[in-house]
Amino acid sequence: MTVAAGVGYVLIALGPALSLLASVIAKKPFLILTLLSSTLFWLISLIILAGAWRAFLPVKSTELWPYSILILTSVGFQEGIRIGFWRLFKKMEDMLNAFADRVSKPRLFLTDKMLLALAGGLGHGLAHAVFFCLSLLTPAFGPATFYVDKCPSIPFFLISAIIALGFVIIHTFSMVIAFNGYTEGKRKDQIFVPFAHLIAALITLINLVPGGCNIGLPLLCIMAGTTLYYSWQLVWRRLTEHQTTRSSD
Amino acid sequence: MPPPDDPPSTTTTTRTSIIDSLGVEIVGVMSPVSICMLLVVLILTSLSSPSTTSSTSPPPVTAATLIYVESDSDSPSHKLLGAVLDAAAFVALIAAATFLLVLLYYYNFTSFLKNYLRFSVFFVLFSMGGSIMASLLQHFSIPLDAPTSFILLFNFAILGVLSVFSPAVPILLRQSYMVSVAVIVAVWFARLPEWTTWVLLIALALYDLAAVLCPHGPLRILVELASSRDEELPALVYEARPTDSSHPVSPPASTPVASLGSVEMQPVSEASNSNSSSVDEEERSPLVSSPPVVRENLSNFNHEQVRESNNSNHAVVEMETGESETLALVEREGFRSSSNSDSEFEMFDSTRGIRLGLGDFVFYSVLVGRAAMYDLMTVYACYLAIISGLGCTLILLSVFRHALPALPISITLGVIFYFLTRLLMEPFVVGASTNLVMF
Repeated sequence: MTVAAGVGYVLIALGPALSLLASVIAKKPFLILTLLSSTLFWLISLIILAGAWRAFLPVKSTELWPYSILILTSVGFQEGIRIGFWRLFKKMEDMLNAFADRVSKPRLFLTDKMLLALAGGLGHGLAHAVFFCLSLLTPAFGPATFYVDKCPSIPFFLISAIIALGFVIIHTFSMVIAFNGYTEGKRKDQIFVPFAHLIAALITLINLVPGGCNIGLPLLCIMAGTTLYYSWQLVWRRLTEHQTTRSSD
Repeated sequence: MPPPDDPPSTTTTTRTSIIDSLGVEIVGVMSPVSICMLLVVLILTSLSSPSTTSSTSPPPVTAATLIYVESDSDSPSHKLLGAVLDAAAFVALIAAATFLLVLLYYYNFTSFLKNYLRFSVFFVLFSMGGSIMASLLQHFSIPLDAPTSFILLFNFAILGVLSVFSPAVPILLRQSYMVSVAVIVAVWFARLPEWTTWVLLIALALYDLAAVLCPHGPLRILVELASSRDEELPALVYEARPTDSSHPVSPPASTPVASLGSVEMQPVSEASNSNSSSVDEEERSPLVSSPPVVRENLSNFNHEQVRESNNSNHAVVEMETGESETLALVEREGFRSSSNSDSEFEMFDSTRGIRLGLGDFVFYSVLVGRAAMYDLMTVYACYLAIISGLGCTLILLSVFRHALPALPISITLGVIFYFLTRLLMEPFVVGASTNLVMF
C-alpha cells in the first residue's frame, strides 16, 4: 500500500530499535561492532536450525504440532547458544580489561557491561526483525495489501510488524537480564529468559488458529512489556546496589 | 583496584571508558562500505523494475563476457563452463593490466599514470554516472531537461576529478566521490549475467590471494617497489580519517607519505625523510576503463597502509596494499622505523586513518547487488558476511603484519552465506513467518 505504508510498517517493527541505535549505540563504535557480531551470531544459529529442519520443510499442514516442535527445538537451540554467547562475552570482557590495564585506563564499568549486553541483545532483535519481518515487507511498498487466511481482520504486514516489535523488545532486554543473571549467578534471572522466550514463541502458535491473531498479538505485547519491566527492575536494582557499594568504600 | 571514583551522582555519564573510543577506525571503514552497498542496492532495486526485466536485451559486451554470453536457454553445465571461461579471461586481463602497471611504475611513468587516472575517473563519473542518472530520471519521471542535466553532470564529474587528486579538497568531499565512483562501477558490474558474476567473484578472490601472497605476484612486487622507494602506491583509495580529539588538528593533506612534499607536510617531511621526490603526492590510481563496447578490467590499485602507532589508545593501523581490484594489506617496515624515530612524524601519521582500496568497495557491492536481485533476505545475510569478513581481515592483519589480501575472506563468506540463505534458510523462515509463527 504505497511507500508511506511500507515505511510505516518498517518503523513499527524497528522504531524502538532505531531510537536505541541512535541514542545509545551509535555513540560508541565498539557497541556497533558488538551489535554486528551478535547479529551475525543469530544469523548463523538460524542457518544451522534451518539446515537441521530442511528435510522436513515445507510443513504442509497448518496443524499445531509440527510448528510446536519447530518452536521448541528452535527456542531451545537459541537459548543454548545464548550461554555460548555469554562465554564469549566473558572472554571479551577479560581481553578488554587486560587492554585497559595495558593502556592504564579504567576497567570496564558496570554500565559498560550492561551496554554491551544491550548491544548484543539489540543485535539479536534486529536480526529477528530483519529476517522475519523486513524481508517480507517488499510487497508492502506496492499498491496493495495482503491478508492471511487465518487472520482476515488485520493486514499481514501489520501483524508481522507488531510481532517483530514484540520480539525486538524481548530479545534486547532478555540479553541484559541473562547476562546479569549469569554474572551474578541468580537462578531466577537465568530461568526467566528462556521461559519468556518460549512463552512468547508459543504465543505466536495461537496465530495458527483462525482468528487467533486477535488474541495472540495483545498477549505477545504483554509478554514484551513483562520482559521490559523485569529488565528495568533488575537494572535499577543492580545500579543502586553498585552505587551504594561504591559510595560506602 | 579501580581508580577512586567521583561522587556517584553523575559519574557514570561523564567518566570515559575504554569502549568509548575503541574500534573507531574499524567503524570508520565499515560505514562507507555499508553506505556504498546500500546505495548500490537502492539503485539496482529501483532500476530493475518489471519493465527492464521484460526487455531482456543482450548483456553489454564487456571484458567479462568476451568468451561466452549467458542466455537463459542454456543448460546449467553449459552456463557454468561458459562462466568459468569468462572469469578466466577476465582474470587474465586483470593480471596483464597489473603487470603493465608494475612496469610503468617501475620506470617512473608517474605523471602518465596520474593523468590516465584523472581521465578514467572523469570517464566513470561522466559517462557511466550519466547513464545511471538518465535511467533514474526516466524511471522516476523527474522533470529535468537535457542541457541542465548535462551541465550538472559535467560539474559533478569535474569536481570529482579535482577532489580525487588534490590534497586541498576537504576530506568529506573526497570520501563522497570515492564512494560514488565505487557505486557507479558496482552498478555497472552488477548487470552481468548471474552465473558469470558469481564465478567471477570467486575467481577474483582466488586471484587476489595468489597475487598478494605468491612471491612473484604482481601486487607483491608493486608493494615492495613502493616500499623500497618509500612512496605511495598508485591507487584510488578511500581514506577514513579518525576523529581523535586527543591529537591536534590533523593536516588536511590526503597522502600520508612524507616523502612526497605537500604544503602542509613540508616541515615534518623534510625533517625526517631525505629523499623527497618532486612528484606531487596525489594518489595515482590507474582505474582502467574504456568505452562500453569493450571494457577492460579495472586495474585498481587498492592501497591501504597498516602500521600500528605507539599510541596504543589509538590503534591506528595503516594498511598498505597495492593490487588490482583487491586489497593487500601490508606493513612497511622502513616507514615504521622512520616514524618511530620522529615523534612529530608519528603524531602526524597517527592522525591518518585506515585506507581501503576502491576495488574492494566495488566487489563487495557487486556481491550484495547480485544478492539483492534475488531477495532482501540474501542481501542482509551477504551484508553481514562481508562486514564480518572485513573485520576478520583487519584483525588478521594486526596479527600477521604483512601483506594480506582482504577480498578472499569477505567474498568467500558472502558467497557461502548467499547460497546457504537461499537454499536453507529461506524456506524455513518464510514458511514460518507467513504462518505467523515466529521465535
